[in-house]
Amino acid sequence: MINTDGMVAGTATKIYTDLCGRDVPHQAEAGDYPQALWDALAENGLPLAWVSEANDGFGADYDEVFGAIWASAQAASPVPFAETLIANWMLDQAGLAPTEGSASFALSGHTPSADIPFGMHADKIVLFDEAHQEISLFDNRAAVRSAEDALSPDGMTQFIFSGHLAEQSAKTNLSRRAIEAMILTVRAVQMAAAMEMALNISIEYVSQREQFGRPLSKFQAIQHQLAVAASECAAATMAATQAASSIARNADDPEKAWHEAVIAKVQISHSVETVTVPFHQVHGAMGYTQEYDLHHYTRRLWAWRDALGNEHLWSKLLGTELALTSPDQIWKGVTTGEWIAS
Amino acid sequence: MQRFNFPVVQPAPALEELRADLQLFLKEEREAGNFRPEPECWMASADPEFSKKMGKRGWIGLTWSSQYGGHDKTALERYIVTEETFRAGAPVGAHWIADRQHAPMLIAHGTEEQKLDILPRIAAGECYFAIGLSEPGAGSDLANVKTKAEKVADGWKINGQKIWSSGAHISHYMVAILRTSPADGRNRHVGLSQIMIDLSLPGVTVKPIVDLSGDAHFNEVYFEDVIVPDDCLLGDEGGGWKQVTGELAMERSGPERFLSSYITLETALWQLTGKMGSDNHGRLGKLIANLRTLKGMSWGIANLLSQGVSPETEAALVKDLGNRLENDLTMEVRALLNDLPSEEWSPDMRRIMNIGVLRSPPNTLRGGTTEVMRGITARQLGLR
Repeated sequence: MINTDGMVAGTATKIYTDLCGRDVPHQAEAGDYPQALWDALAENGLPLAWVSEANDGFGADYDEVFGAIWASAQAASPVPFAETLIANWMLDQAGLAPTEGSASFALSGHTPSADIPFGMHADKIVLFDEAHQEISLFDNRAAVRSAEDALSPDGMTQFIFSGHLAEQSAKTNLSRRAIEAMILTVRAVQMAAAMEMALNISIEYVSQREQFGRPLSKFQAIQHQLAVAASECAAATMAATQAASSIARNADDPEKAWHEAVIAKVQISHSVETVTVPFHQVHGAMGYTQEYDLHHYTRRLWAWRDALGNEHLWSKLLGTELALTSPDQIWKGVTTGEWIAS
Repeated sequence: MQRFNFPVVQPAPALEELRADLQLFLKEEREAGNFRPEPECWMASADPEFSKKMGKRGWIGLTWSSQYGGHDKTALERYIVTEETFRAGAPVGAHWIADRQHAPMLIAHGTEEQKLDILPRIAAGECYFAIGLSEPGAGSDLANVKTKAEKVADGWKINGQKIWSSGAHISHYMVAILRTSPADGRNRHVGLSQIMIDLSLPGVTVKPIVDLSGDAHFNEVYFEDVIVPDDCLLGDEGGGWKQVTGELAMERSGPERFLSSYITLETALWQLTGKMGSDNHGRLGKLIANLRTLKGMSWGIANLLSQGVSPETEAALVKDLGNRLENDLTMEVRALLNDLPSEEWSPDMRRIMNIGVLRSPPNTLRGGTTEVMRGITARQLGLR
């Protein structure tokens, strides 16, 4: 399970409980951005949790911060907390100072990742330029950007980097794989957390809603749909925890966490359809309405499974690599999580 | 909040040394032609000679005390042995159930004399046990068992029939759940007890049942006035239901719930090295991601169990997911093998693939059907 006992996770959980109740994601979507929530996170230094102490950050354990991300995703965070954590981590890895405000990130290269989540709300954008092995910080508010059609309430923007000067840039030793490992792991934790909340909402709904004179929960057809969904949620939690643990174990070289992160991406993204179909099915038309909470989680799941490329792309990337290794190495990976021959 | 508890535990170095020893042994045995790998090897491939070799190496009875012929290790060592023998598709079926289930039962409930007599023979790979749960009228509805044990002067007199008892034809004992007193009105869970029966006793008849592939690994077992001594009642008289459901909960999350068919993939991967088409890479990636995730869940629970925690919900979820994976794996390997012209398949490949398909139906039946698992999960979720 994701460690939610630490101080960082505890602080984040409290802030989200106090300032991000069930009505807040609704209000945010109606245009009332929860600035107070962001301010509380920032005042407590949480977006700097993964920035090293030498760089005026917390230098918190990876493990603990994943617990904070879990809490933010369970609250359907309408502010870019996880994105800012990643952006600041990237800056720190290149020796650059973290941003004061909120931030999001992009990777140049083979996936169309100039699509930026939270692009309308983030103050800054951190770009990893693979060709030049460079991390750069851009001012998002001054940039040419356009809101794209987005699956998720977090939104998605196109950011035009060319012709827009970076505020800061530095070379980095980080590989693309290291950054992918980090981003995919953060997304995996968010997705597992969102799935679990959607499961909870579904259980609550079928226990209250009555048809044919009894609660929906008493129908075996409903029970079995949610039991299957629960098994996928449990697997998602496991996959996310395994990825988070791999990042924590390989803090000095996150590239080594790539396989476990990709596995989490593949496992969880494939499960999204398996869980969101029954979650919506058991809700009937109610789950399809804007006024109800379910879509705060299901729409994010639909967006996150596509983030950085969808489950089909990543299954193939993983499989292509495994097809080149030996059956002995595959078995070693499956049984021990060690995917790289030592 | 977090609903599901699966700790991530890195395997200790000593466990990986054990794994390496197993791999070497299994490779030598296979290359010497001492076994032919098969899917579902823990149920359907039994070879007493192989079991004795495992016993000699100290790979049975890992979990119990050397005082009773065991090896003073933990369930985690046993997990590694299980994993590696399944990967090899080795014929562990003779001793496997006794090692998993009945030895711990005897340690908990047996007399000192029984422990000293039977446990060392189990650890040596010489003494086998069969499970006596199902009856013709009691499948998923296990509480409907009718086979009776009556108290008589010198012990218990047993009459009735058990069915689907894997390995009973080569087993020395069965532990059966029997009705020792009538149900209390509608409460059928009372009056059931677990009794160990020496299958060589007069009045016991074992009749093989041939499965759809022509194998005969499970059986009907008839009892006609079979008398067992008093001390063969294991645990509490009338407490059998609680004991059995507790045991079942412990058995839902091991490697036998998601790796039974791995040998099919393993065999195909050796055949496909350098030959897999890129169209199949996504299939392989998804399958391996799924296997790795299930391993994490199963291993996490094994570690909890070894600390005395029994997470019933998580275990039921692993069985449901893992059984589905076992069957999916066989189907996915069929697709992977399209990259190899069938005339290039090794004889082993074809045999294993066929057995894998033929042995797929029981994956989602034994140890509690998928439907029973989902019922358990639904109850844990608060829906029932």
